[in-house]
Amino acid sequence: MTAHTPSAAQAGLVEDVARVVEGVPGVAFLKPGLAARLRSALSRPDAGTGRASIAGVRLTPGPDGTAGRHVDVQVVVVRGVRAVDVARAVRSAVEEHLAVRFPGGPGCRVTVTISGRV
Amino acid sequence: MTTHTDPPEGAHADGDDERLPCGRPLSQVWDDRERRTDTPHLAGCPHCQGAVRDLEQLETAVRGLREETRETSAYDAEPLTRRVMDLVRLELRPGCPVPLGDPAEDLWIMETVAARALRSAAETVEGVRAGSCRVVDAAGAVAVRLDIHAPANAGLRQLAERVRQRVREAADRELGMVTASVDIRVTDLVDTRAEGREGDTA
Amino acid sequence: MAGARRPTAPPDTGEDTGDTLLVVRAAEGDEDAFAALVRAHAPALIRLATRLLGTPAEAEDAVQEAFLSAWRRLPEFHGQASFGTWMYRIVTNRCLNVLRARRPVAPLESAGEVPAAEHTTSPARITEARDAVRELREALDLLSAEQRACWVLRELDGRSYEFVADAVGISQDAVRARVFRARRCLTRALGAWR
Repeated sequence: MTAHTPSAAQAGLVEDVARVVEGVPGVAFLKPGLAARLRSALSRPDAGTGRASIAGVRLTPGPDGTAGRHVDVQVVVVRGVRAVDVARAVRSAVEEHLAVRFPGGPGCRVTVTISGRV
Repeated sequence: MTTHTDPPEGAHADGDDERLPCGRPLSQVWDDRERRTDTPHLAGCPHCQGAVRDLEQLETAVRGLREETRETSAYDAEPLTRRVMDLVRLELRPGCPVPLGDPAEDLWIMETVAARALRSAAETVEGVRAGSCRVVDAAGAVAVRLDIHAPANAGLRQLAERVRQRVREAADRELGMVTASVDIRVTDLVDTRAEGREGDTA
Repeated sequence: MAGARRPTAPPDTGEDTGDTLLVVRAAEGDEDAFAALVRAHAPALIRLATRLLGTPAEAEDAVQEAFLSAWRRLPEFHGQASFGTWMYRIVTNRCLNVLRARRPVAPLESAGEVPAAEHTTSPARITEARDAVRELREALDLLSAEQRACWVLRELDGRSYEFVADAVGISQDAVRARVFRARRCLTRALGAWR
């Protein structure tokens, strides 16, 4: 259980990533109810299976406050921009942010899922 | 309706049926009245006539109540619709993501989101109404199956081809989805003649 | 909307070609399609729920919950009945549960000292008629949940015994029995003011 309890550092990182994602052009917002769901997702052990995570951003917790091996992002995009382009931009933005945050650290896998289009 | 059940010992009016002083079960009298069956007994029996009057009095009140609560066109469904949709949007429907871009990119789009875009694209063809749209992962690309209702007088082959084209275009330009195949099925023919005239729906 | 409407379909629960498409799409997660269904069917369902429960506020709650339930169950709805009929059944059952949860109302005392109504001039008759409707509305609270449901569907909504049986989930005989008991209770309640 303790191995899966996210630290404060983890929580902060998730919020950072969320902010980065929402700044990407073409992103309407993260999956709805992000704030509340993030909180509840962080307060219990990561039992999520499959890709449909509740939070807009999910990190597979890694040891010692590193980024972890897998970042899972779900976004709602706007029309008028090609969906795959937005998804690519989100991935790049997250990868960049993690590279800055953890220079020289282990590579991260970033999965982006478009869960809505408005 | 068991009109001839023997009442239990000490039968009283709260039992399953009630007998009028003339011996007729109340349910029978009312049944006859409902079916508009006239019996000779009724003509001479004040008890049965009273029972019928009771029912008629009730029916008058019922008509009044029905009138009071009849009007549906005045009802504004917008607030309720909004509330329902707010709740619906919070529901988590287990969804299936399908690949976006190259399979190696690890980019995905939920099937329902893609389906919505593709249905809209199909409906840009005049007279076409889109129905079921399934989008499934097909070895890194995507297989689309779309059902449409087509106008009855259309050349179906060309129409299906036009729809297919629009769908492919939308998949590419709006989403960036690689389509391995696009199957169009015409599941119904729609009569597009003037409203109010009956037509055939297959 | 393109498509011919079958002339014999009852207005509230008729099968509409347009509905079929919307239902298929909604079952696949198309929220706009579901919103269109809600908008189209809400008025008739609100009327039904208001007749069953007595107040518009409770009716709104019941219908709202019914639609949410329908959204969740749509993937398993394979169109054996029309969407309208299916919703009718869901709303009826939801209202039944609300009715069952209500505190039972004490039955009326017998007529006693109430003076007989006088058959006088028209204005009084009109008032009488309005009073009778109000008394009827109040008397509905005396019925059991099942009696009320069967009676409302049969008498106010004009449904066949077969339809009511299907909507409530009981036999036609059971429906007839409940309608009879309801009528008996109501005639007595109205008679008490005579």
